[in-house]
Order: sequence, then structure tokens, then C-alpha cells
Amino acid sequence: MLDATQQPVRIGASSFLARLLQLRPGNATLTAGLVLAAIILLASAIGPVLYGRDPYALHTASVLAGPSAAYPFGTDDLGRNAFARLLVAGRSTLYVALPATAVAFVVGTLYGLASGLGPRLLDQALMRLLDAVLALPGLVVLIFFGAIVPLNTGSLILLLGLISWPSLARLVRNETLAQRDRDFVHASRQLGGGLAHIAGTHLLRVMAPVLVVNFTFLVGDMIFALSALSFLGLGVQPPHTSWGGLLQEGLELVALDAWWLVLPPGLMIFAAMLATSLIGQGLLARGGSR
Amino acid sequence: MRILGGIGRKLGSAALSLAILITLTFVLVHVAPGSPVYQILGPKASPASIRELNHALGLDLPFWHQYFRWWLDLAHGQLGTSYSVERPVGSLIVSYELNTLALQIVSLVASLLIAFALGLAHGVFYDRTPGRIIGGVELALYAMPSFFSGTLLILLFSMQLGWFPAGGLENLRLAHQTVASNALHMALPCVTIVLLTVPVLSRYFAQSVHEELGRDYVRSAAARGASPSRILLHHVIRNALRPLVTVLGLSLPSIFAGGVVVETVFSYPGLGWLLWRSALAQDYPVLIGIVLVIGILTVLGNLLADIVNTLLDPRTGYA
Repeated sequence: MLDATQQPVRIGASSFLARLLQLRPGNATLTAGLVLAAIILLASAIGPVLYGRDPYALHTASVLAGPSAAYPFGTDDLGRNAFARLLVAGRSTLYVALPATAVAFVVGTLYGLASGLGPRLLDQALMRLLDAVLALPGLVVLIFFGAIVPLNTGSLILLLGLISWPSLARLVRNETLAQRDRDFVHASRQLGGGLAHIAGTHLLRVMAPVLVVNFTFLVGDMIFALSALSFLGLGVQPPHTSWGGLLQEGLELVALDAWWLVLPPGLMIFAAMLATSLIGQGLLARGGSR
Repeated sequence: MRILGGIGRKLGSAALSLAILITLTFVLVHVAPGSPVYQILGPKASPASIRELNHALGLDLPFWHQYFRWWLDLAHGQLGTSYSVERPVGSLIVSYELNTLALQIVSLVASLLIAFALGLAHGVFYDRTPGRIIGGVELALYAMPSFFSGTLLILLFSMQLGWFPAGGLENLRLAHQTVASNALHMALPCVTIVLLTVPVLSRYFAQSVHEELGRDYVRSAAARGASPSRILLHHVIRNALRPLVTVLGLSLPSIFAGGVVVETVFSYPGLGWLLWRSALAQDYPVLIGIVLVIGILTVLGNLLADIVNTLLDPRTGYA
């Protein structure tokens, strides 16, 4: 442990990267998380292009083959290339999870700001509604709606996004209540700043560190929720696939001991959630904000 | 008296949450695509029989009248009949909920014991190497999705080693189910749930042990000559356990709902598995019944946690 009087060890030039690599506990966690996230993002974004094998082609001669040079992660029960499928699965998982996070983030922040800045009666009403929504486990509500609406990329983004905002909304509301009586807010109001101006220019800026950390955690939650939903058959629909869907296919063939169909998708979800946890924890340790 | 006032206000807020929940489910039933009549009679029904069933189900009544009847039915414990298995939703839910509670209570007790030991060690060695290592393990377990750990457990302990059955609750080869056989079936789901709950509980407990250890009363007890083990057992743990009650209250929804995912991985016949089956079969009465039951149990559970907390520490009642 370094104490405050000691200068952190410097590695290389004083660039952003070098500052990230300074070996303080928070930074090591953050760096590990960022590296992991970069690998996952690259594999999903350009992996399918670089690898270039068809994830949907049926190689009937080699059904349920174990890992080999031709098929690095083996093949599934229809003889499809499991590695190619893993790469496109990552793409469709992030295609849904990242926009859904954005939806939840915007809705949660706006709801929290409205509740924190609005009249007391509105705050009370919004918070009671929030209590009722939070009374239900998110996954139960997701399954409920997953059964009702037709499932496609757009509906999944809206479904996940519109269900995952309440905890962020409460956080933003409490943070707003804590900040709204500070001098700079009063000053802005005296100078004629409207509520929207105060919220947008001042409060959001003060809350930025907290928001960034929670955005990171929200990404992890979303990847988990989508994977769980797909695992239950209510997420990304065939012929498209996702990490959760691949894992479910692996579980169905578990009696055949096809471990190569279980480990890679499971490890990808694990790595993605670990990456967001590490980044969030690293940011927390670094800024000491929460 | 002020404590009673605080409890009264929480009762009021819980009642409001329930009212909103019941209203929301009513609205959901009526915006859900596909009418129940179509679900029951199928696509080849004659207009006359559709009209007749609409009337029998009360779907031709005015909106507010149906809303009123929704409350009346709930007050009488009527949740309707399942489309797919033709059983009253209430009794269906009760029979699956019992399996869920058995699994959840065993898992909860195991999780609490493990989390207590792990969290205490983590809290005492918070910034030192042992604490860091436990913190890392907790973080890794936290990132582990239950459907992956469950699948791995099946792969290892059912397929490779053959120690435990891979799913279900009943041994179909036995004429009468024995407790031992049921316990064997519950082992792997139980371990999966423990792996899921321990990191959350232990991390929370560690945090509060660490905070309590830094307080003034610990220093004054040490100055008076109290031994470290006495300080830990008599002062710190007692105070550090209190926030855990709140966390337990917050985890009630998942306890009642059962790990939907865990129960599905192991085909364990609990409420979560029933929810999943009903979702795939689009069996709306069962779906809505489950959502309502879980919601009501959760609101009541949170209320209970609040009251226990208020009794343990009267200060929280004023907040």
C-alpha cells in the first residue's frame, strides 16, 4: 500500500494509459476490467469478420465433434462451427444489452431528476410507484412480459431497458435531494435558471462520477438479464443466437458430455460480468465516490 | 409511541404498494394481446360460444365493474383457472411454492452460515492480504451467472462423477419418495443458490464489520482491557448483524420467487419453474397469479424487515 505522501510509481510517459497503469489498488482493478472489456468488445465487433467462417453452415460429417484445428471450439449437434457461433452470439448479445442499458440509464436519470426536483406531491407519487415496481424481482417481470410481447431486437431492447431503471432512479433522486439545496443551485436559481437548466448543467455534472459507476454496473446487470432470458428461451430468438442461448443448447446436450458447448459461452458471460464489476469497483476505489 | 407511529406509516405505505400492484396486474390482464376466450376455445370457436364465454367470464361488463370484481375475487382468494392444466391457480401455486420454500430455506440457512464466517474474516482483515483474497473470491463468485455454475455442477457431479441426480425432485424408480432421495435431488440446486447468495451477503457483512471496528466504542472497550475476541463477539458482531436484516428483507422476492433460473436448470418443480413453464405456454392466469403472490409476499416481507429493524434500533423508526 502506498500512503498519500508517497508519489505513485510512474511507468513510461505521462499519457492517459500510463496513468491508468500506475499500480495503485483501484487502478490495477480498473485496468484489468478495461483490458477484459476491450477483448470482449473486439471479439464481438470484428471477431466474426476476422474469423470469417459461416456460423450457420451445417457440417453434417462432423456432428458434435470436440475441439480440433478445423473447429477450435468443436461443433454442435447440427454440426455448426461453435467458435463462429460464439463470436456472432457475442455480437447479438451486445447489440441488445448496450442499447438497453442506454434506455434504462436515460429513463432512470430523468425519473430520478423529476422526483428530486419536482413538487413534494409528485415526489411522493413517483416514489410510491417505484416501491410497487421494486416489490417484484426484475427477472420475474421480464419473464412475464417476455411471454406477452413478440420477441425481436427492438422489443428486447425496450423490454430490458424499461424494466431495469428503478434502482438507478432512486439513486438519482436521493442524490438530487442531497445536492439541490447547495449554494450553486440556489445561485443558479437566483440568476433565473429554470429546473431543466439546473438539472442539465449543474446536477448532472456534480453527479457524473456516481452516474458513470452505476452505468457500468447497469451494463453488467443487462448482460446478465439478457443472457438469463435467452437461456430461458425468451430472449434472442433462433436462428440468431446469444451467449445465454448457446449455454442453454449446451445444457440440453449435457448428457452427451459436450463440455466444449458449455464452457465457452458460460465463460464469456462470466468475463463480461467480471469486466463490468472490475471497472465499477476500480472507478469507486479511484474516485471514492458513491 | 413514536415507534408505533413509524410502524403505522410503514403499514400505510405497504398497503399503498399493494394497491398499486393489484391495479397494475389488472391493467396488464386487459392490455395483454390475445383474449382469454381465444386461449380457451381455440381458433375454431363459433361467435355464439365466444359471446357465451365472454359473458360467463364477465368480460362484457363495464371496465370499472371488472376492476371491482378483480378486487372482490382476490379478497376471496380466487385467482382463476390455469388454461393449460385445468387446475385452480391458487392450489397450483401453493403446491409449487412449498417445494420452492423447502429449497430456499435450506439454501438460506447454509448461505447465512457460510457468509457469516467468510464476511467476518473479510471484515477483520479488510485491508490486508487475507481480506483482499476473500474480496477477490467474492467478486468472482458475484460475476458467475447461476445458469453457468449450475450447468458446470451438473457436468461435473452428475455426468462425470455420477454422485447426484441432474434434475427434478422425485426419483421415479421409487414407489414412495423418501426424504433421503429428495435431499439428494436438492443438493446441486442448493449449492448453486449458495454460490449465488454468499458473495452478496458476505460482502455486505464484511463492510459493516469493518465500519463497526473503526468506531469509538471499540477503542474504549480495548482501552478498558477487553480482549479482541470479547470485543468482536459482544460488541462488533451484534451491531454489524443489523444491516443484514435489511438485506435479507430485500432478498425476499427472490426467496419466494425461487431462483427462476436455478429451478429451470435443474428442472426443480418450484414456483420459478412453474413461472417459466407458464411463460412458454402463455398461461396468463398462472403468470398473473404468480406475479401477484410474489408481490404480496414481498411487500409483507419488507414490512416485517422494517418492523424488526425498528425494534432492534429505535432510531430507524423516525427516519
